[in-house]
Amino acid sequence: MSTTEHCPSEANAAIGKMRGPEHGPKNIDVSALVDTEGGLIDRSIYTDPGIYDQEMRRIFARSWLFLAHTSQFKKPGDFFTTFMGQDPVIVTMDKTKTIRAYLNSCRHRGVRLCRADAGATKMFTCTYHGWSFDLAGALKTVPNEKAYPEDFDKKDWSLIEVPRLSEYKGLLFANWDKDAEDLEDTLGDMRYYMDAMLDRDPEGTEVMGGVMKWELEGNWKLAAEQFATDWYHVNMSHASALMVMSPTGKGPKTEIVATPGRQYVSPNGHGAGFPTHPKSRFDAQAVHEHYDYEALRERLGDAAVEGPMTTGHATVFPSFSYLPVNGSIRIWHPKGPNKIEVWAWILVDKSMPDDVKDAQRLYNLRTFGPSGIFEADDGENWSEIQAISDGFITNSVPLNFQMGIGSEKEDGVYPGQTSELYSDAAGRSFYKHWSKLMNTPAWHEHPAPAPAGE
Amino acid sequence: MSEAINIGTIDDIDEGEARVIPAEENGTDQDIAVFHAEDGNFYALDDTCTHETASLADGWIEGTEVECPVHSAKFCLKSGTALCMPATIAARTHKVEVSGQDVLLYPAVSVVDA
Ligand code: FES
Ligand SMILES: [Fe+2]
Repeated sequence: MSTTEHCPSEANAAIGKMRGPEHGPKNIDVSALVDTEGGLIDRSIYTDPGIYDQEMRRIFARSWLFLAHTSQFKKPGDFFTTFMGQDPVIVTMDKTKTIRAYLNSCRHRGVRLCRADAGATKMFTCTYHGWSFDLAGALKTVPNEKAYPEDFDKKDWSLIEVPRLSEYKGLLFANWDKDAEDLEDTLGDMRYYMDAMLDRDPEGTEVMGGVMKWELEGNWKLAAEQFATDWYHVNMSHASALMVMSPTGKGPKTEIVATPGRQYVSPNGHGAGFPTHPKSRFDAQAVHEHYDYEALRERLGDAAVEGPMTTGHATVFPSFSYLPVNGSIRIWHPKGPNKIEVWAWILVDKSMPDDVKDAQRLYNLRTFGPSGIFEADDGENWSEIQAISDGFITNSVPLNFQMGIGSEKEDGVYPGQTSELYSDAAGRSFYKHWSKLMNTPAWHEHPAPAPAGE
Repeated sequence: MSEAINIGTIDDIDEGEARVIPAEENGTDQDIAVFHAEDGNFYALDDTCTHETASLADGWIEGTEVECPVHSAKFCLKSGTALCMPATIAARTHKVEVSGQDVLLYPAVSVVDA
């Protein structure tokens, strides 16, 4: 299986005389809204429609965004439809077994080309007038083609292809910026933390069943930031769930609430937190018994097995998050400033026996499925932030991100900069990277505005 | 009446699949699609859909019908009849015989009037 490192077909949006509006949209300078040194965030970044629109242009149109797992594509014609920001895309395997992604909008009058969530096809045929595109995105048939002018060339009307698609150990990411830094470089040290989930099994991972989808009231950053940086909420928000998960009759445990741990702080806005007490994991028993911990220590190193492979949380900037022990990978699809659509997959190791996979699936659903006992707690909190954010006074009071200021360091054990498990460090870094992108013109804004004074 | 062409054995085309015998090989002016239908029998039609230009061999075979992969017109594999819009014209049929393990195609020998 391969992915397109560079777009095989030139995206051909500019036809004839159309060039779009002369002046692009007005951008907001966000430097007064995010103070990552002082640990303060202005609440308007979660509510302002102008900021949200700018995120679509300057964050989502230029970042590596999670699309799908490679195990969803086995033969040519297998497809999956998803979103990059709010742009709909079709992900499919072409006849050469290359995975490619196209804007899911007919080139004729713009109808959503493929309406199914997933499936197998030979062609993508528009339901409106019947223009039909092959797996390589080429326009193949146009009903009544003879009535079009002589210079009408089907080659000019291929699907708009996402120029970059790249895989990291089974996870497919795509980027609209053809000159973007490579995915592996953007991930950097984050790969070490991801490997504790993606590389436990020499066979790799696969997803089980379909995609679970649900809606929440809340800004997408509330969820992404929490998965990057927030172990702090666990003891309070999840107190009842932790009691349910504790061994029967054993009562509350200090080791759980006071667990030591580290939090990885990526300069590119990613983050991962994990306890470092090797026994603090509470997997499905069958999964726990399946693992050969000695072999894993050999493969991943002691620190990975005792750290990021345990009950951790993580976000790959901007909107992909995961929980290794729960086998949950998910994307936070933004649907306006006030709404998230969560799409979640169940991830298992390929060589697990079926009964172990099933135990992992049930554990995932019980904890972090759409009605999981932990998931419900988190969603409630985000919605309770968002629901009151339209108040004028409410929205002008800054939020606190000061825990662990100055605590980031190289600890000699975990790669990159890490902080304490209980810290806002990765959150501050998430917003630092967010502000940098928000204040920097993207590839599609050319010519870039001249710097002041020239 | 044209000669039969041996296009291979019954195992060469899986049930639910089809193979195209190009015009140069079949002696007619059209490519011919030979289908292994879900009733276990073999049938043949002109490969190009009568509506537009798609290959019916690329289509979806269900029972003894084939659905065009592009605009979803359906044809009866036994009679070539166009079963639904957007196709309105029947596909030309060609006789197919199985002799032992061999699949024999009789290009231009219609099964409709036979
Ligand atoms: S909008 Fe797709 S064919 Fe007309
Ligand atoms: Fe939580």
